[in-house]
Amino acid sequence: MLSKVSRKLLKGRGHTRGGERALPYLLIAPTVAVLVALSIYPLVYAVKVSLQSDSGDGARWTLQHFARLLSDDFFRSALAHTLVYAAIALTVEFLLGLGLAVLLNREMRGRSFFRAALLVPMMLPPVVVGVVWRLMLNSSFGVINGTLQSVGVNTEQLTWTGTPKLAFASVILVDIWQWTPFIFLILLAGLQAIPEEPYEAALIDGSSPWQTFRHVTLPLLKPAILIALLLRTMDLLRVFDQIWILTQGAPGGATETASLYIYLTAFRFGDFGYAAAMSFVLLLLTNVVSVLYIRLLQRQEEA
Amino acid sequence: MRGGGRGPGAGGRLMTYALAVFAVVAALLPVYWMLTISLKRQVDQLAVPPKWLIFEPTLAHYADAFLERSFAQYLVTSAIVAVSSTACALVLGTLAAYGLARFRLPRKLNTRVALWILSTRMFPPIVTAVPIFLLMSDLELLDTIASLVIVYTGFNLPFVVWMMRGFFREIPRELEEAARVDGDSRLGALRRVILPLVTPGLAATAVFCLIISWNEFLFALTLTQTDNAMTLPVGISGRVTQYEIEWGVMSAAGVVAMIPILVFALAVQRYLVRGLSLGAVKG
Repeated sequence: MLSKVSRKLLKGRGHTRGGERALPYLLIAPTVAVLVALSIYPLVYAVKVSLQSDSGDGARWTLQHFARLLSDDFFRSALAHTLVYAAIALTVEFLLGLGLAVLLNREMRGRSFFRAALLVPMMLPPVVVGVVWRLMLNSSFGVINGTLQSVGVNTEQLTWTGTPKLAFASVILVDIWQWTPFIFLILLAGLQAIPEEPYEAALIDGSSPWQTFRHVTLPLLKPAILIALLLRTMDLLRVFDQIWILTQGAPGGATETASLYIYLTAFRFGDFGYAAAMSFVLLLLTNVVSVLYIRLLQRQEEA
Repeated sequence: MRGGGRGPGAGGRLMTYALAVFAVVAALLPVYWMLTISLKRQVDQLAVPPKWLIFEPTLAHYADAFLERSFAQYLVTSAIVAVSSTACALVLGTLAAYGLARFRLPRKLNTRVALWILSTRMFPPIVTAVPIFLLMSDLELLDTIASLVIVYTGFNLPFVVWMMRGFFREIPRELEEAARVDGDSRLGALRRVILPLVTPGLAATAVFCLIISWNEFLFALTLTQTDNAMTLPVGISGRVTQYEIEWGVMSAAGVVAMIPILVFALAVQRYLVRGLSLGAVKG
């Protein structure tokens, strides 16, 4: 295909400046067209859907869906679940990931094996992660309760995904299991990119290990930390797959995140207009984070 | 020793190993457990205390899932969707990446277009899932493999553009100029000189796209309804929620869904950091 395009270009305009000038646009245009069709157009379409009432035969323009947003307690609690879930998971994943990265950032035998093994959870299909943990957490036959029972613990209260608080904790636990390796991996790459010299200087100054970490490592690791946290936050705010397999939002909506609630509204209750309206709130929320990420990349580009 | 400051003593080293081993066990044990469930008879699956190592293995659940039920078909669909969408995205995205990496466009258009392309990947999927479902329904493409190939191509494109743009930029301009002095056109130089140099990067990018498409769940769930176009994750999720206790079939399908991904992930380990950060960390 490449050669066909190039031959055509050569035949048409040869090596003239005009052909040369058009070439980059010709190369970029198909990608831009596909992305406009698959993300900008659907967004515009969603605006239209969210502003029309689907009752009756003719579509009517209305603000009813957006008005409903303000008084919908379920949506408010879904948003709250999303934010709390994101905040807790991000904090724990960051601390554990940073700890692991510092730990494994030294010459040691088997390091590449450790690193490869730690990647497994995050590469798994999210649906498989859901299956794995459903097997583990089942309150009657799961291996966690089975193990606890065999050492004499009464597991009657340990229903994992059965009671609201425990279910919420369980889905967060699964997220931590799956995504701590992501933070670990990015921070390890960041640590390995730090040169020797600042450490030698700190050694000469007689800094303690903690001081060195605080005043040398952390500042130099900041770009990697920012990237890891921003990417993770974007993903946490949209979480859907594992929770769908683990609880489908149950019990009683305790694990219902914004994405789940929107999904159920659209595809279980067929209320596409309201689902579209809610999805704009979620978009706004993630946008704050993605704008920060894009600014960061922009600064990198211009540097 | 980098980053560590001073070398840890023997006790410190032992601690490090103990913690590293603990982390690896925590990461792998749940996955190992699913593997054993897929190979156990039902009595052994539910045994208390749990049977970690010693049980009589059986392949019955695999036969059940892939011969008796439709999982073989889901597997084929997943493969078709992943390969087609990866191929489309690679062709389009590589050309765009070359255009963005190697030409100076006016008004900082290079950076602006590149960042815009990336921003399309940052929408939460549920935001576009609702309108895309309605659009596909208008086009009568619901429950077809084509709909998934189209959507996943869109997913993969920004990724390909950012990865390949990075790889193109790492190639010295002089090489290309030399080829052009030898009489190659711009695209001739791309094909003869540049592409062979970025082949490892191209391969890694392809593998990432395969992983992304293979793992995708939300769109596959909304756009497919029957065995016609269901991918492996959707097939698995259907069993999970319908028949709670069919652990064997679920785990067998889960193991099969996971194996290609693990092989792929090991193959692109070197580029993993770059891929996961969308090219932001060179790793």
